[in-house]
Amino acid sequence: MVAPKYRSRSKRRVFVRTPSGKTVIHYKDRAPKTGTCPVTGEKLKGMPRVLPAKQQNMAKTKKRPQRPFGGVLSSRAMRRVVINEARALSQLE
Amino acid sequence: MKNMNKEKGGKMAVYEVGRVCMKIAGRDARKKCVVVDILDSTYVMIDGETRRRKCNIAHLEPLNLAVAINANASNEDIVKALKEEGIVCDIKKESKKQPQARPKKQKAKKKTAAPAKKAKAESKPAEKKEAKPKAAKKKE
Repeated sequence: MVAPKYRSRSKRRVFVRTPSGKTVIHYKDRAPKTGTCPVTGEKLKGMPRVLPAKQQNMAKTKKRPQRPFGGVLSSRAMRRVVINEARALSQLE
Repeated sequence: MKNMNKEKGGKMAVYEVGRVCMKIAGRDARKKCVVVDILDSTYVMIDGETRRRKCNIAHLEPLNLAVAINANASNEDIVKALKEEGIVCDIKKESKKQPQARPKKQKAKKKTAAPAKKAKAESKPAEKKEAKPKAAKKKE
C-alpha cells in the first residue's frame, strides 16, 4: 500500500524497471502549465515548462525571451504597447 | 495598408533617410533609431540606440521627428544628431578583432603517410624471407 499522500492523481506516475526486473512506481511532480499572455490569452513562447527548482539552475536567457515584456506579454501584445508608446511620443513632439 | 505599400510613395515615403523611428519587434524593441539607408521597398538600414542593422519596415514605427544626416552616415554623426534632439545613445566601438580565416584541412599529409607504411610493409617480408632459410638450415 502506498503512502496516503501518493493516493491521488496530482502526482505523475513513472514506471521504472529496477535492476532485478521488478517494475516500481515513482511519484513525481507534474510540470507546470505554460504561461499565457494576459492581453491576448496566447501561450507564451520561449519559456521552459519545468519546476521552479530546475529553473534556478537555468540561465536567464533560457527562461524568457530577450525583448521588453519578455515572459509577461506575447509578442503581439508587446508590439501593441510599444506602438502606442511611440504614437504618444509623436503627439508630444 | 498592404495596398498603400505597393503604390508609389506609399508607406515607404515615410521612411526617408534621417527619419527617427522606434523599433517594435525583437530584442531592440522600444529603442529609437534613425533610417540611414533605404535598401529596397521593404528593408531599410537603421542605427542609433539599436545596432546598425537591416530592418523590415513592418518592424518600425515612425516618430514625428527627423534628423539631418547623409545616407550611410557614420555612427558618430548619428549619435550627435540624436543628441541634439534629446535622444542619448553611446557611440559604438568597432571591434579590434579581425575575423580569422578558417584553417584548411590538410589532406596532403594523409597521402604522404600512406606510401611510407607500404614501404615498411614491403621491406618486412623481405627480411623474413631471408630469415626463413637460415632457420631451415639450422634444423638440417
